[in-house]
Amino acid sequence: MTDGPAGTGDVECVGRRWPLFRLALAASVLTILTLGVYRFWMKSRLRRYYWSSFRVAGSPVEYVGEPLEKLLGFLIAVVFLAFYLGIVNLVLVFASFSLFQTNGVAYLLSFLGVVPLWFYAAYRARRYVLARTRWLGIRFGLAPGAAGYAWRAVGHWLAVILTLGLAWPRMTFWLEKYRTDRTTFGTLTLHQGGNVAMLYQVFVHLMIGVIFSALTIAIALANDNERFLWLLIVFLPWAVYGLVHYRVHAFRRLTDAKSAGGLSLVSRARVVRVARIWLLGGSLALVLPFVVMSLAAYVVISGATTDGAYPSEALRVLLGDVLPGWAIVALGVVLYFGVFVTFGVLRHVFITLPLWRHYGETLTLVGTSTLPRVAQQGRDAFEEAEGIAEALDVGAAI
Amino acid sequence: MSGTVIHIGAAPAPFAGTALYLDGQTAGLRPAQLRIDEGAGVLVIRATGMTPPRWPLADVRAIPDQADPRRMVLAVTDDPVARLLVEDDETLRLLRARCPNLHRRPKPRGLWRLFLWALAALGAVALIVFLLVPLLANRLAEFLPPEGERALGEATLDQVRHAMDTTGIAPLPLCETGAGQAALAAMTDRLLARADLPYPLQVQVLDHPLINAFALPGGQVVLFRGLIEAAEHPDEIAGVLAHEIGHVAHRDPTRIALRSAGSVGVLGLLFGDFAGGAAVLFLTERLISATYTREAEAGADDYALSLLAEASIDPGALGVFFERLRRDNGETPGVLAHFMDHPATLDRIEKAANAPRPDALRPALDAAQWQALRGICGASPPPG
Repeated sequence: MTDGPAGTGDVECVGRRWPLFRLALAASVLTILTLGVYRFWMKSRLRRYYWSSFRVAGSPVEYVGEPLEKLLGFLIAVVFLAFYLGIVNLVLVFASFSLFQTNGVAYLLSFLGVVPLWFYAAYRARRYVLARTRWLGIRFGLAPGAAGYAWRAVGHWLAVILTLGLAWPRMTFWLEKYRTDRTTFGTLTLHQGGNVAMLYQVFVHLMIGVIFSALTIAIALANDNERFLWLLIVFLPWAVYGLVHYRVHAFRRLTDAKSAGGLSLVSRARVVRVARIWLLGGSLALVLPFVVMSLAAYVVISGATTDGAYPSEALRVLLGDVLPGWAIVALGVVLYFGVFVTFGVLRHVFITLPLWRHYGETLTLVGTSTLPRVAQQGRDAFEEAEGIAEALDVGAAI
Repeated sequence: MSGTVIHIGAAPAPFAGTALYLDGQTAGLRPAQLRIDEGAGVLVIRATGMTPPRWPLADVRAIPDQADPRRMVLAVTDDPVARLLVEDDETLRLLRARCPNLHRRPKPRGLWRLFLWALAALGAVALIVFLLVPLLANRLAEFLPPEGERALGEATLDQVRHAMDTTGIAPLPLCETGAGQAALAAMTDRLLARADLPYPLQVQVLDHPLINAFALPGGQVVLFRGLIEAAEHPDEIAGVLAHEIGHVAHRDPTRIALRSAGSVGVLGLLFGDFAGGAAVLFLTERLISATYTREAEAGADDYALSLLAEASIDPGALGVFFERLRRDNGETPGVLAHFMDHPATLDRIEKAANAPRPDALRPALDAAQWQALRGICGASPPPG
């Protein structure tokens, strides 16, 4: 890389926990008060915050997606998906009960039917997000190709399942390459270099951890001898470490092998740091909502066990002299959603932002002297936005 | 805000500032000098190698929700890509003072389209939930083989028992005292003496204080402990049971269960992730206090009347039960609620009660059996 174009740009992360906490909390509460409608605004605002927290070579990244276009995309998706989910589910449940006397088959078929759609939606959501992302005033973009992505992803997953996970790095690489090679920055098109082998090199720890854990259990079961199981104390954490190791190093190798024109990236993300964020952040984000939930459960159960009635009735008995009925119902609803909100907000503050910051600050852009040659590309209107993904709950980090 | 600018003489203090300009055409960050053309009320952005863009002060907007509190990203309403990055404190202060609409949100566009799609989405969901799914469910219910219906009913009962459990440990228990079950079986057999059902009937009691009963697909009828405790005469329970058997015979629960299978997915779609579980609960609730159509209720009542007549049980007890519950509770519990909306049905039952030879009527259970039924949940039966 020594003979590449000159100039490097660092990534500075200016996002802080407290402002993000306030933003996420206010937006979550509004989402609940509006029966979920505000979630389109919440997504737009949080993305604006996260994107703008990255200053690459002195210029912030900007997210320009609008809430109303997300709402429109969602409505478009509902019109089409409602037919699928309503009629297909009904027919599947009918067929499953008439032919197999269980609804398990229906759930399975329904799930399998949604899987390709899920990948399709994920690709299209990515297209929307990239089309609404700008840096240095230049738009990113993703070429159409959701159907191709969906069947490739299904094929790769089948291979992963059939090989008991051994084909995972192969899937990681080819799907990343499919997405990257279709990603544009203005007039530049990204290229994913490298190969599958480089990912297998960082897959070793995970493989050792999983294979030895499985062998330990198998031997213990075969010999009906539980004394071997103490070996799991070593192998299970090894497998967990291997998972983080693989995620971080696969990201690094894939990032280092990306290029566009004279630009390339270098990532120095660290496994220990990522593992610490997951460990510390995860426990913080889980413990606090757990406290809220236990309190709520205590109130409900202590009332409910007296006569085995509904929670709402039990609470009525418990607090009936103090509060009117509607206030108690409202209290229950607030507690119920309070747990979800707390968990979501704390996840942003203790997991997503720290990870975002770490991956960002360890990233370097190389070859910035070629940037002035990059020109703008046209706007990708893409009316459906991330509607299908929104409707199907395709999990996105933000 | 504008108080921070000190006006001396006729003209405001001359404005000068620095910023970085992005023209949105090439990937270059240009250092720029800012001036205000006071006559035109326009911000003039000067950078090398371009004709200076002129931004009307009233059209300058700050991009919201930025992570960096010390800097500002500015845009102008008629250019979607050009940006001005302001980092200099003094420039920031002056711009905040001079741009009156900095934080005004852009006027939303395409609201009409949005409204049309919202209508279309509501229409599609309504069409599916209220028309297509019920239509399809009604047709399919007739083709579901009895074994399939049984399985559907068992799965649904499991769901109901888990949904109504408040301890979070085990599903709501069934009442299975031997003598009580025998009494219930005797009552059921007497009602079914001449009935013709596609599958054997299974009547169970749930240990719950609710005054209710419901039917499930595949010949399952569930009574709540509360119903048995509220009744003062076995004929009252027999009336409720006969009514539920009517629903079973007409396959009403199967229709509802299939319908909810179709509706759950659609409702989950609308309300997003956090209400996914709530939608299922809502529909389970709907199944318990099943809101059948007026025709279905009338059909079940007709069927019940004929069963009661065949078994020589007083059909009028149902009306007495209903009146007493309404008087004592002020509201009518689920299973009898349809009388509230259709008092004509109650009149019909009372006429039926008066019509046949009342001397031929026998109570649905004898005193000993009635005591056993009242104790079906193991606890000592309440007095009365």
